[in-house]
Amino acid sequence: MTRTRFGALVAATMIVVAACGGSSATPAPSAASSAAPSSAASTAASTAPSTAPSAAASAAASTPKDGGTLVAGLPGDMVLADPSLVSDSNSSEIEGQVIQGLVGLKPGTNSELVPVLASALPTVSADGLTYTFTLRQGVKFHDGTDFNADAVVYNYTRQLNAPKSLQNDYNYYFGAVFGFGADSNLASVTATDASTVVFKLKTPQSNFLLATTLPQFGIQSPTALKAGDADNPDPSKSPYAQGQGGTGKSMVGTGPFMFKEWVPNDHVTLVKNPNYWDTANAAHLDAITFKPYADQTAELNALQAGDIDWAQTISPTDVKTVQSDSSLQVIDRGQSCNEFHLSLNDADKPFDNLQIRQAIGYALNKQSYIDAFYAGMAKVADNFMPPSTEFYKPLNLPTYDPAKAKSLIASSGVPASQLNLTFYYPSDVSRPYMPDPKGLAEAIANDLQAVGFTITFKTEGWRTGYLSDSSVGKFPMDLLGWTCDWAGPDNFLVTDLFYFNGSKPNPQFNYGPADLKAAFDAGISATTTAAAQQAWSTAQDILARDLPIIPILNSTPPAAAAAYVQGFVGSGNLEEQFNTTWLNK
Amino acid sequence: MAKYIVRRILSAIPVLFGLSIVLFSFIHLLPGDPAAALLGQHATPELTAKIRQQLGLDQPLYVQYLQYLTQLLHGDLGKSVINNRPVITDFANRFPGTVELTLAALVFAVGIGIPLGRFAARHTQGWQDGVVTVISLFGISIPIFVLGLTLQYVVSVQLHWLPTSGRLDPRTTIPSVTNFMLIDTLLAGRPDAFVDALRHLILPAIALGSIPLAIITRITRASVLDVNNEDYVRTARAKGLTERRVDDRHIMRNAWLPVVTVIGLQVGGLLAGAVITETVFSWNGVGRWVVEAIQDHDYFVVQSSILIFAFIFLAVNLIVDIGYAYLNPRIRYA
Repeated sequence: MTRTRFGALVAATMIVVAACGGSSATPAPSAASSAAPSSAASTAASTAPSTAPSAAASAAASTPKDGGTLVAGLPGDMVLADPSLVSDSNSSEIEGQVIQGLVGLKPGTNSELVPVLASALPTVSADGLTYTFTLRQGVKFHDGTDFNADAVVYNYTRQLNAPKSLQNDYNYYFGAVFGFGADSNLASVTATDASTVVFKLKTPQSNFLLATTLPQFGIQSPTALKAGDADNPDPSKSPYAQGQGGTGKSMVGTGPFMFKEWVPNDHVTLVKNPNYWDTANAAHLDAITFKPYADQTAELNALQAGDIDWAQTISPTDVKTVQSDSSLQVIDRGQSCNEFHLSLNDADKPFDNLQIRQAIGYALNKQSYIDAFYAGMAKVADNFMPPSTEFYKPLNLPTYDPAKAKSLIASSGVPASQLNLTFYYPSDVSRPYMPDPKGLAEAIANDLQAVGFTITFKTEGWRTGYLSDSSVGKFPMDLLGWTCDWAGPDNFLVTDLFYFNGSKPNPQFNYGPADLKAAFDAGISATTTAAAQQAWSTAQDILARDLPIIPILNSTPPAAAAAYVQGFVGSGNLEEQFNTTWLNK
Repeated sequence: MAKYIVRRILSAIPVLFGLSIVLFSFIHLLPGDPAAALLGQHATPELTAKIRQQLGLDQPLYVQYLQYLTQLLHGDLGKSVINNRPVITDFANRFPGTVELTLAALVFAVGIGIPLGRFAARHTQGWQDGVVTVISLFGISIPIFVLGLTLQYVVSVQLHWLPTSGRLDPRTTIPSVTNFMLIDTLLAGRPDAFVDALRHLILPAIALGSIPLAIITRITRASVLDVNNEDYVRTARAKGLTERRVDDRHIMRNAWLPVVTVIGLQVGGLLAGAVITETVFSWNGVGRWVVEAIQDHDYFVVQSSILIFAFIFLAVNLIVDIGYAYLNPRIRYA
């Protein structure tokens, strides 16, 4: 009897302890939320900008040394070792070191195209339907086979005809950019000679080049793909996708690093490609080991203890800690490739009223959020996409002016009863564009209450309802944002925000006038840069006119590294290349 | 005895069956689904519906459960929704990590807890007992993740004595044979890596072992005090036996029983605690894997791995009960 009772007691204790641990294990940057907009402001803002120049200056000051292993912390593990089957950022970051595409982004930029495996940017026919690429010659895959036009054709064809079971969930990006099989906008990919590939589209698609900079459109060795059964409808049965066999068997590309091994949930190791085709940009490091860290505090501890050399993202609240440690450095990522906004469902009252939406725009003191929650590493948004996006232009959106907000509310004629707003924020997540949702929601609510709104908070778990409920328009007002897939206007304005399903606008905002749809269609199918510029400019003007939601800011999520890590070039899309990185020790 | 064991094994079947229903209901009642986890912010209502259909999640729940049950009865624990790997493969790869950690925690808890409990019992009137009481109260009340992060910060970040996380230095590569790092490093003929693996094991073992340590200390102390008051102990002392002989032969022999029971019961708690410890210390074990699977709504991974956990817990309890009979011949199961 005693035994049973004691057992029950122990079991109950365990459950309680486990439950406490579980709920509190999520990173809790409560210090920032309680510090509120004003206090942390000046110090954070003054320290932040100093980091970038010093890191850049020291990198330039000395000559890179070769050798050493960099241990890099990422927020999660690789999912599969074949980029065509993954859509998460961890896999993309790792596989992007190994597998290259025809075109890529200039390091440190989000939308400047450079040829990679193509010898120049392609020629495009006047109707915008035919892209002709001339390929680099003498490039070899990591398994020693030749990179050539046939390899490009093989890679695109296998994705175009991906097994049904892999479409959409595994093979997301090819589906989103081109579509599969007969429904695809990609009519054909053909090799006209060993170093020329011709892509034919069914309708013009102006995002074609930017989208294909993603590792998902990288070129892998056809020999290795076939040998590793990469097109097996069940990826668990494909040795290639499971990363078995090491160099030359899985994740076989042409990049400065080669795949070595993957121990799921523990680490992925890449080694230097000694025969890299671009000798001037060959890797300095002998190897990189990527380690997943589920807990940001644990990752920072590992960095401070010297267990890892580089951490992909740290919480802005930890920036000061890192700066105060002379053995570490904060890495500023330069151009932002994300946006953070206050979502409004324009079908709901009072958000159907333009003056109310404008009043909200004037009510928010956006700079104060940047100072309090982002350690100064963000800029107030003046558009629905960040400044580094193609065809971006400033829109002169409402800036902080509470008096104007009050007068707009008064003149809107909206009854006071409608000024009670229900405000959703996610309870259990920290995103690069939204490090502290609760703190941000409270700061925004304070500003809204100051001009006459009243706020009721509601909250849901990020993956346990928040994302799905917001995507179907259940929330009248909520916090969301987006990290770019590619820095084209279509990726922010259409994919992220105001896409149309037929003629029906995204149910999240229920906003989509006919002229906006026309501008989007014109922008996507534009065949000349001038036409694209014109169309996207019109789309931005329409959005500025209607202010359907309230853009808040564009952030540059900080990375951190040991002081001896040099030469790393950060990029706002968090998809960086490590070939320039070296260890000064 | 054999009959008893068979009966206990048979009685585990309805327990596991019931648990499978509870688990299935809980994970499916959780808002959200794997489609949302797979797509993240790329989720549009249309794409989500397409993927739900591909994964069979548009079927009624009872159909999904029956399918799962049929699979289970065929010995198929299902596949991960995220990467399609069979649950059993990933479980087998990660389980040694959890066992290694759990055993280390148990060694720590037993190795320190029992001597500490005996020490406290010997000094019930002194300040020593008070100190031990405070230590064990501390051990039982401090959450694992707080202790874990604190240990990391003090021992690793400030003092640089031990590594913060992982099972081995990431710059070292050891071929995986058994997935027990202490064994694999020896098999690879790398004593340096063995020491490194041992160093990685210390902090998580202390964090995970702190609660069992406290409980074992308390129960040892109580049990020793209990037996100390028995007539046969007084008789032994009256016979003029040395205190050491009284302690070993007469007190501890009898005091072991509740201690062994408690140690057995700790295994369940240790497995639960491993979930948190592995997350804090980036330890590649089953616990961290289950946490990620819950976040991803990876149904089969969560259902099947917790079922295996439950099976292990039942098995350990059975072994403890059999060990109980061995330690105390008066107990006979029929």
